[in-house]
Amino acid sequence: MRKKEITSVVDTIAGRSAPGGGFSEHTGTPFRADATAMAILALKTAGSHLHLLESARSRLVSEQLADGRVCLAKDQLQAFWPTALALLAWNGSYAYRKHRDLAIHFLIGASGKHWKKKENSPLGHDPSIKGWSWIEDTFAWVEPTALVIMALRLSGYAEHARVSEAVHLLMDRQLPGGGWNYGNTIVYGQELYPQPESTGMALTALAGKVEKREIARSLDYLKSQIRSTRTPLSLGWGLFGLGSWGDRPAEARRLIVECLSRQNKFGAYGTTLLSLLVLAYKANGGFLDAIS
Amino acid sequence: MKYSGKMIQFNTSISRRDFIRKFLKGYFGLTFGAMLTGCHLRETQSAETFIAKAPDYGIDLASIIKAGLSELGASVQEIKGKRILLKPNLVEPHRGAGHINTNPLVLRGAIEAFKSFKAAEVIVAEGPGHYRDTHLVLEESKMIDVLWEDRIPFVDLNNDQWFATPNLGGTTKLQHLILPATLQKVDWIVSMPKMKTHHWAGVTLSMKNLFGVMPGMFYGWPKNVLHREGIEESIIDINTTVKPHFAIVDGIVGMEGDGPIMGTPKNAGVIVMGRNLLAVDATCCRIMGINPFRVGYIAGSEHKLGPIRENVIRQRGEKIESVRVHFELLEKIHAHRGLR
Repeated sequence: MRKKEITSVVDTIAGRSAPGGGFSEHTGTPFRADATAMAILALKTAGSHLHLLESARSRLVSEQLADGRVCLAKDQLQAFWPTALALLAWNGSYAYRKHRDLAIHFLIGASGKHWKKKENSPLGHDPSIKGWSWIEDTFAWVEPTALVIMALRLSGYAEHARVSEAVHLLMDRQLPGGGWNYGNTIVYGQELYPQPESTGMALTALAGKVEKREIARSLDYLKSQIRSTRTPLSLGWGLFGLGSWGDRPAEARRLIVECLSRQNKFGAYGTTLLSLLVLAYKANGGFLDAIS
Repeated sequence: MKYSGKMIQFNTSISRRDFIRKFLKGYFGLTFGAMLTGCHLRETQSAETFIAKAPDYGIDLASIIKAGLSELGASVQEIKGKRILLKPNLVEPHRGAGHINTNPLVLRGAIEAFKSFKAAEVIVAEGPGHYRDTHLVLEESKMIDVLWEDRIPFVDLNNDQWFATPNLGGTTKLQHLILPATLQKVDWIVSMPKMKTHHWAGVTLSMKNLFGVMPGMFYGWPKNVLHREGIEESIIDINTTVKPHFAIVDGIVGMEGDGPIMGTPKNAGVIVMGRNLLAVDATCCRIMGINPFRVGYIAGSEHKLGPIRENVIRQRGEKIESVRVHFELLEKIHAHRGLR
């Protein structure tokens, strides 16, 4: 039953291939770089519809700009966050080495805005630490930083100084009570709430880079949430976060199937979400293990 | 039209007082200019707002909203056949913290009201500011139950198709704004915020609520570009460009203190409505015991987006004095200082 459902999801993803290569987020909508990268990872991991992969990877190449970035749209240069996803999608394919190198060069040269913390700042975190932003020329946040760490680690840059500093950023943004949110910890003396998705992504990026005791409270938070989580982004990244540290729940696949069934209520999930769930279903541990 | 401008860095260190000063300085020029365009001035110098007492969420909210629509001159003839987009505030949901977001029952009341006025379609749309997982936002806020039971479509504005349009406000340095395509497919955009204090902007009401129409995939989470450009400046630009049609404010249980997330529930027991969002927000400020002229983006919007002076806002329903309840402001929060 579960296998059948996942096969159906994989077919749905494949059915969203876009004219000219790549994938769209929903049936009938245009190509999107993030949907394409995630679909490549999901189909490759599922070992299905493999004939679509090369044209999809090539489409990402056609979207890459001279400086290495891959944007959400070619005339929206500031929205460069899909670059890390493209790097993951090109991973393991020698034919795309040049494009990978270009993307790596871009990412290592890019950073969110950062500044020395003012003495009277109401913010709890240290804004001087470099990470990555969603959008060019804005502040560095947890999820884009985690994504780039994953992409650079998979590309052989695990020990690069930018990765080390970004790990430092994630640890600085960990909430005192455990977990992560988008990236603020304490504002005007109040600790903010954690979120399962951000926590899962941060834990995935940090696996093997910090001691377990340093993130133990975040694992506890995520464990307390995961069994009641049935939405794709939070469940997918939550499972990867736990799996990266050897704590994947035994009922992970059942949770994923239940999450998929909730499309009856929510409507059809986007390609990025379905791909994340396929990857989480196929994985036994962390995200990087699943896609490498 | 596609966006072709380059993002320009903006000095975000401007203080609220600097902001007000800047706009008061520009006010005289604007007023003189408006004399030359008397029609525009008349449209923006008077407005009506409607206040209803609503002690709790268990009462017939649809009837209140229908009464408000009627009091404000909206008729079946006007709304019949129109596609209505309801934009609640679902910035960040947490179980047991319902005072963060627009209550689903207020949304349901609005759905019923617009349907009873023969709207062709009512949809709900939001681009949550702090969460990428919009499904989780709908679930934790319990909004999904209303949408599901009432069979109301929902659009995630963070991930919608998009279009770029010139920034008509010109207050930030953004040349264009990127907006969700769904906004082009509806006739009315109805802002449905929660009545809250805000630790960066002073208050968050119907105008600030429109941050949620800006797609996260182009502005980041939490709407990073708008924070860089200046929250107050961005509010003015978005409202000038999007031109929302109506506001319904959930002030039944609002939030005071360290809003918009970490504040405490405040029973204000009101629904506030109006066609002019600036006038609605000014009225809400007065209900909250806040001087709207001291909220930077509200003061800075006068004449440009509508009136804020009490004597040119015709009050329907309850009097402000009869529902006024002071929302707590915190001295430690810079944006709260001097707001009374």
